[in-house]
Amino acid sequence: MKYDVLNTRLPRVDARAKATGDARYTDDLSMPHMLYGAILHSPLAHAKILNIDTSEAKKLPGVKEIITAKEAGPIKFGVSPARYDETILCIDKVRYVGDEVAAVAAVDYETAQKALSLIRVDYEELPRYLNVFDAMKEGGVAIHDDHPNNISAEVHNEFGDIEKAFAECDIVKEGTFSNKKQDGAFLEPQACLANYDLNGNLTLYSSTQSVHYVQRTLAMVLNMPVGKVRVVKPYVGGGFGPKASANSMELICCLLSMRTGRPVKMCFSREEVFMHSRARHQFFHELKVGAKKDGTLVAVQNKCYLDGGAYSSFGIATVYYAGSLLTAPYKLPNYKYDGYRFYTNKPTSGAQRGHGSVVARACMEQLLDEIAEDIGMDPIELRLKNIMEKDDVTCNYFNMSSLGARECLEAVRDGSDWKSKKGTLPKGKGIGMAAAFYVSGAGYSIYRSETYHATAMVKLAEDGGTVDLYTASAEIGQGSDTTFTLIAAEALGLKYEDVHVHSGDTDFGIDLGAYSSRQTLMTGHAVKRAAEDLKRQILDVLAAEFQIPAGDMDIKDSYMVFKNGTPDFSGIRTKYIKEHRGWVDQPEGDRLTFREAARIVYLKKGVIVGGGAYKPDELGGTFKGAAVGTSPAYSCSAVVAEVTVDEQTGQITVDKLTDAHDCGFAINRTNVEGQMQGSVYMGLGETLFEEVKFDEKGKLLNPTLGEYRIPTMLDMPNVNTIIVESDEPNGPYGAKEVGEGAILPTIPAIVNAVYNAVGVRINELPVTAERVFMALKEKNEKGKE
Amino acid sequence: MKRIIRLNVNDNDYEVAVQPNQTLTQVLREELNLLGTKEGCGIGDCGACTVIMDGRPVNSCLVLAVQASGSKIETIEGVAQGHKLHPVQEAFVNLGAIQCGFCTPGMVLTAKNLLENNPNPTEQEIRKAMSGNLCRCTGYQKIVEAVQEAAAQIKS
Amino acid sequence: MQLLPKFEYYEAEDIDSACSLMSRFQSDGKIIAGGTDVLVNLKEGKIHPANLISVSKISGLSGIMEQDSHIVIGSHTLVSTLAEDRLIKGEFPMLAKAASNLGSPLIRNRATIGGNIVTARPAADLIPPLMALGATIELKSLDGTRNLTLEEFLVGPGQTTIRNDEILTKVILPETAPYSGGDYIKLGHRKSLEIAIVAVASFIKLDKDGMTIQDAKVILSAVAPKAIHAVSVEKALIGAKATAEVFETAALKAISDCRPISDIRGGSEYRRDMVAALTRKTLLKAFKEVMGEKIF
Repeated sequence: MKYDVLNTRLPRVDARAKATGDARYTDDLSMPHMLYGAILHSPLAHAKILNIDTSEAKKLPGVKEIITAKEAGPIKFGVSPARYDETILCIDKVRYVGDEVAAVAAVDYETAQKALSLIRVDYEELPRYLNVFDAMKEGGVAIHDDHPNNISAEVHNEFGDIEKAFAECDIVKEGTFSNKKQDGAFLEPQACLANYDLNGNLTLYSSTQSVHYVQRTLAMVLNMPVGKVRVVKPYVGGGFGPKASANSMELICCLLSMRTGRPVKMCFSREEVFMHSRARHQFFHELKVGAKKDGTLVAVQNKCYLDGGAYSSFGIATVYYAGSLLTAPYKLPNYKYDGYRFYTNKPTSGAQRGHGSVVARACMEQLLDEIAEDIGMDPIELRLKNIMEKDDVTCNYFNMSSLGARECLEAVRDGSDWKSKKGTLPKGKGIGMAAAFYVSGAGYSIYRSETYHATAMVKLAEDGGTVDLYTASAEIGQGSDTTFTLIAAEALGLKYEDVHVHSGDTDFGIDLGAYSSRQTLMTGHAVKRAAEDLKRQILDVLAAEFQIPAGDMDIKDSYMVFKNGTPDFSGIRTKYIKEHRGWVDQPEGDRLTFREAARIVYLKKGVIVGGGAYKPDELGGTFKGAAVGTSPAYSCSAVVAEVTVDEQTGQITVDKLTDAHDCGFAINRTNVEGQMQGSVYMGLGETLFEEVKFDEKGKLLNPTLGEYRIPTMLDMPNVNTIIVESDEPNGPYGAKEVGEGAILPTIPAIVNAVYNAVGVRINELPVTAERVFMALKEKNEKGKE
Repeated sequence: MKRIIRLNVNDNDYEVAVQPNQTLTQVLREELNLLGTKEGCGIGDCGACTVIMDGRPVNSCLVLAVQASGSKIETIEGVAQGHKLHPVQEAFVNLGAIQCGFCTPGMVLTAKNLLENNPNPTEQEIRKAMSGNLCRCTGYQKIVEAVQEAAAQIKS
Repeated sequence: MQLLPKFEYYEAEDIDSACSLMSRFQSDGKIIAGGTDVLVNLKEGKIHPANLISVSKISGLSGIMEQDSHIVIGSHTLVSTLAEDRLIKGEFPMLAKAASNLGSPLIRNRATIGGNIVTARPAADLIPPLMALGATIELKSLDGTRNLTLEEFLVGPGQTTIRNDEILTKVILPETAPYSGGDYIKLGHRKSLEIAIVAVASFIKLDKDGMTIQDAKVILSAVAPKAIHAVSVEKALIGAKATAEVFETAALKAISDCRPISDIRGGSEYRRDMVAALTRKTLLKAFKEVMGEKIF
């Protein structure tokens, strides 16, 4: 299929604004009479609040409002209604260093910060639990009263017969894998600007991935009708998951605006980003993988402890994803998963790129490599032997309506020259691989509802032949505004520049937002339907005008095309030119332009708006938790990594990466490559450098971008980026996800390459030089014994 | 106590009253309304606040406005000529070097400065010169390609 | 926005006014040059001077010149200048190498050699090569001038013997003798924007036949409160033959010359093993430089 604007390399619609500094992010916004807010954080990891004295702070000139839980109220919120466990400000206790205790609005940031230092809080310290093993011990103090054993959520699933299956295996490998809490480390810290106006309408501008979820949370917690709450997303400087849910700062900001009657702006310092971002959990996986001696995968058993931090956030979904996403892309008939998410007295963890499945995948791919080595099979051959194909269904009822997994594996094998390199590299150099799959949007919204997951409107301009596309979806840097502009342009038959996208505003409709890689597929469908609806309406009017069946007409490149010869449109042109007397760029030539045709449609109908909405079909099995992991489509990807390990220091250099990703269909090839490269990049960082550190009191040790290390331009090699297109039947134009999947095989590919280079299997992230060196030292010492 | 400083920013002369503890980032954004310079971390770890000061790219979050008095500053707003983009900006736009855009002003300025001093950089020289500008979105590859493309365009 | 606390700011026009301001304010005053350390420490609340005295507009405080078989570097010379200067790259490549790996290119365009020395971080990048090259510094006050070696100047983390009213004005390096060579290796996690986990600077001078080591300086940093000589390494090298085996044996002695701590960048055992690895690597590279290879 040849498309007019799809699958090309047209530049992004927002690139020029960003290249010139014109793009406005939330902290760039201001309003007249604006105040500045700041948050008082708990200095203790676990303590009762005995008393808060704001009297001295209130006296400070320039302070306009101070709030504590008394003003903020007791209404609980969170991400999943089954786990609403947060209040705007702490009521009776604090649960981590950073928990929000009070907030100030003042005439400038300096005054607000000074006011915070004048607030006196009396605490009674409680025992603190800074890791899952302490949190799970009997007899401790519950972090949340209604979870006496500090288990925030637990999952138990079994598919097939696991005991029988392992008994039938010729080879069984057991292993563990863990990481540390990791951070999204987006460049733009969260910020928000709230304005509660004189008519009692609340508008919040916020650096968010989901205006819809924030709007609902604001309305619920602030006890306002949804219709009086509007959330707008300006340009956002990256999200990666932590910006996908409402945060206390947004609620505080709105409350301060409501109480002062003035606009209030707030933003996080980089340290506060680390404190408040609900980023990647720490996972402790124990896996058992069983296979036949010919390499057929038979059974996997997975147990996981998640360190959830002080609250739930996305955690109930995370603990499911840590299990459910191992059942593909290899055929697996028997699978058992037991997952436990614990509360600890640390910043809360939530959803981050690859949500929940990242460390599970790393563990699995390392054990598959061990099996391959034991049975003398090439690792890629082992994967190919077990690979699923289109229309296969996993043991937990995920339907692979399209799956280019075989193609991805072959692509990275050939693209990296695997066959000539594997086994022939000199000592210290290694090559490794892995594969994975991921969802294209969660099958169910995070709150139980029959709501559409995305709605879209496309309005025909009254003059000029352009259209305006309205979607509440979130462009956070991944390119969704461009994706939807292209889809609408293609569906309508218009030039790319004739579609104007407006997004990220709850006034524009419903969209669940940018998370779980849902927007291209789900919002894309809604946009396509809206555009097709508009086109139908346009052609119906023109059919009556020309007395030609609508099916004999089409729009292409912003011109009208007719199957059986162009009708006489001189009347239309004359009328148009007469209406536009004085214009110099009058339409001419023997083709009827869309702007002339559109003008006629307006004159006949007045208001022409196309609407489209999407929600997935009922998906998944009927067992508890079946919903999580269901998706209308699944992507897949494979990575080959080549590394050099300096055995004298343990330092790893990733020399080359080859990444193949099945995105179904690339709406825009440059943007798909960019997402692949970005996701691989994040995988490299999380493998080699990234960890959030705490001291023994639960205080963050490295809340800076100097000590929380994301790779620099000197650390990241080029990626041989291979797009695989399997044409997803459930996706608009065959498209499915690309924003997250590539991170999953990157981590184990590097870890497997390190083993290939120097013979040590590291099963703890980050794989720092020190970790490698110590492992080598231990191996050498064992060798001497 | 506020003091008056003189800044030349994007070829315009400004007289501004500033506090000693205001950084150049703050004065550009809050006093001169030049919002293209961003603050990502405030302590020189990320490069989002990059400006060109007296011909050198620096972290403006670690320059006091009073230290910059008398200096020639170039921000992202000074790179394009009206609507005519600089070749570095054109290349960034056309080659997909921009995703969320927050690092972009810093990247563009550092790259522009590099090409003015070294019109034919190798890939390694590009990466080294830009190793103080972090990006979390792109993985840097398309940024490097854009700088190479810009170098070629400027040459021809 | 990461805010700075309040302070008064003075732009000194010459060394004397800088010194008299410092004399007036005593410990309530702090010199600011590039600001890449001072402003970070202020923002993080590690220091709270009520007055900052800038030395950036004092003429004659930056520059690199040859003077009586010495190279004199003005204290306000930018680190990026050190990394690119022909004279430094030719005469002291390990110093240029250290300069080119300090922080990031953006930091290097503001940071100064004087600032790096006076801030005296245990992992400061320029100090080890300067010590290995036998640098001395000139300090000026209203009472006059004094010259110190870096060993005499450095006390501990952030602490030097600088007097309240003194300004560091010059760094003086003797030109390197023939048959000498050096190298500096900084071990970090990433390849930019790093503070060293461990760093080593080695400098050796061989005799005319290129066989015997006449002099050796091996400086370890980030493994002690300040940069230190690996005394037993130096002792083992001087008078010995310049071979890989000698370097290997000597390098292992570095482990006992230091007692590193574990901190957020690395563990003590790893650091001990790394001083040996880096000592070995820098000695081998230093030897290559003696043999005429370019190390940077």
